[in-house]
Amino acid sequence: MVKKFSAPLERTARLLDLVPYISSHQGISLAELAKVFNVDQGQMTSDLTTLWMCGLPGYTPLELMDLNFESGFVTIHNAETLSKPRSITFDEGVALVLGLDLLRSAISPERGDLLERINLLSQRLAGLINLPSALSATSVVNQDVSGAITAALKSRMGLEISYHSLYRDELSTRSIFPIEIVKTDSHLYLSSYCHTASDFRQFRIDRIQTATVQAVQQEIPKSPIQQSSYTCTVKVLVKTDSHLYLSSYCHTASDFRQFRIDRIQTATVQAVQQEIPKSPIQQSSHTCTVKVLTPTREVAERFKQSELHVNTEFNCQTYSTQWIERSIMASGRAVCLQSPPDIRKSIAVMAQTMLDRYKAR
Amino acid sequence: MSRKIERLINLTIALLATKRYLTKTEIFNSVDGYEGTAETKERMFERDKDDLRSLGIEIEVGSFDPLFNDEAGYKIKQEKYQFELGDISSTEVSLLSLAAEAWQEASFGDVAQRALVKLRSIGIPSDELSIPASVHKLNDGGQDLSLITKAIAHNQLLAFNYLDSHLGIKMRSVVPIALSTRNGFWYLSGVDQEIQEIRTFRVDRISGAIAASAGPKDFQTPAGFDPSTAFSESSTHDFALIDVRVGKASSLRALANSHLESRFSLLIASMAWPGCFCSRTS
Repeated sequence: MVKKFSAPLERTARLLDLVPYISSHQGISLAELAKVFNVDQGQMTSDLTTLWMCGLPGYTPLELMDLNFESGFVTIHNAETLSKPRSITFDEGVALVLGLDLLRSAISPERGDLLERINLLSQRLAGLINLPSALSATSVVNQDVSGAITAALKSRMGLEISYHSLYRDELSTRSIFPIEIVKTDSHLYLSSYCHTASDFRQFRIDRIQTATVQAVQQEIPKSPIQQSSYTCTVKVLVKTDSHLYLSSYCHTASDFRQFRIDRIQTATVQAVQQEIPKSPIQQSSHTCTVKVLTPTREVAERFKQSELHVNTEFNCQTYSTQWIERSIMASGRAVCLQSPPDIRKSIAVMAQTMLDRYKAR
Repeated sequence: MSRKIERLINLTIALLATKRYLTKTEIFNSVDGYEGTAETKERMFERDKDDLRSLGIEIEVGSFDPLFNDEAGYKIKQEKYQFELGDISSTEVSLLSLAAEAWQEASFGDVAQRALVKLRSIGIPSDELSIPASVHKLNDGGQDLSLITKAIAHNQLLAFNYLDSHLGIKMRSVVPIALSTRNGFWYLSGVDQEIQEIRTFRVDRISGAIAASAGPKDFQTPAGFDPSTAFSESSTHDFALIDVRVGKASSLRALANSHLESRFSLLIASMAWPGCFCSRTS
């Protein structure tokens, strides 16, 4: 991707950038500084030691940079020459210009003041790196939706959302309590407690069509199973609303559950079945065999296949018969579903209904 | 290794601190670390200059007195070395920080992080929470975005294999003029050299490496090209009237909505069942 420098050059760049950062953050802890520059503390100490050796030509004590970090806190003096941050590189400028453009699409038109500043910043940056105004980024997230989500997360309020389920091609209205935004596989999800489903759910943000802030019950209801002891495989610890939850697969409930840590009275480590049994939904997953009649890019991308030729057969797994039906229909003459027979049948019925509809006119 | 780093830092300081051009001899005398025969020193210095340039540090070459054939001298201009964004407010730093954070885990993630460190070094506090926008991230565009943007800036020619709609792979030669992201995909627009027309390519459909070379000398971005409209389809279009099952075909509805809002609701109102609306087809 972006050009990687050799290790010594990478380090030289970091050392040059350390001086202005320390100059503007005098007394920063070694640990924090290491975090900012994305290196471990050992590397940071070694960087600072090297920097400590450098100075103005002549090497009289007066001309050396005065760098102190023995106490674990870093200060620098006598480093005026390097104290201004270095000019941005072409790639850095591109990253900022595109990021700003994305941000522009995320800000409400009412905030003309911010939009104006974004434009000016973008022009100034493009000027610094001689970039023509040829880059643009638009957010996949509706701006009203993002506004409502931001507001709800900030004020710890609930949301009423209409959510489009791609697999079922259905819109549902749900009352949710958003917990946090998580990024998985380059998509953003809103991790929430869904009062409509009475369970934790993740919603892909670009599939939320509308969102309105509303008051919801703050307290997450107790799960229907009220057993006093659970056997769980711990997955992850999450912090929600200033409480810590243990997100686990609960063998007792045979499903994923979250437990508020301060409500756990006793806990013992024990061996459990490692394998998480397939959830009831997964058990109803279908294996479909699709035969390619005309290899097209559309088919390859829709079914995430590569190397398609005439008569290639591939299998795909889906939980939704509706999804496979729609995908086969949408692929037109390019593919044919070989199995399972019941889905073949329902596609035939759909196709016949369509034909009849066209004959009628 | 750290000897070389020290030398590079000291060379930078020396060339930045000087008001006048420094000759090589002066540099070898004052910057520690240039050792060996004259030839070795010379070679070290040439390599160091290249290294600093590759880090984006511009070294000016000049002489004390242009009237005499003096030995060449070197210096780094402070105004070229430092980040010159002019007067910048806390709000602007916040906006730039959010812009950099949009790249989290995506193509320019590391680069954006480095830009952020430089921004923070200006020493103006930022308050990202004051900006009413946070739910936005850029998707990963793979390894090629940097190469494509450089080619746009320098009118370079890009050659790559592209997967066409019938899974055929064809070599395309394009002078890129725009890069954009829409609906989670990255797109490259450019003048296809074979047909001399603007075409748009989805970056993830490029197979294999992109080769960049010098573009046509007299290249000019076609007049009237507006990157923001490169994605609206052709201006001639017909209208289609489509019956849709209630509650279904949500993405199609969204398309119709955005183009013909008034007509959409009008038709819905007059034909309650089945839902009926207009959509644009090209």
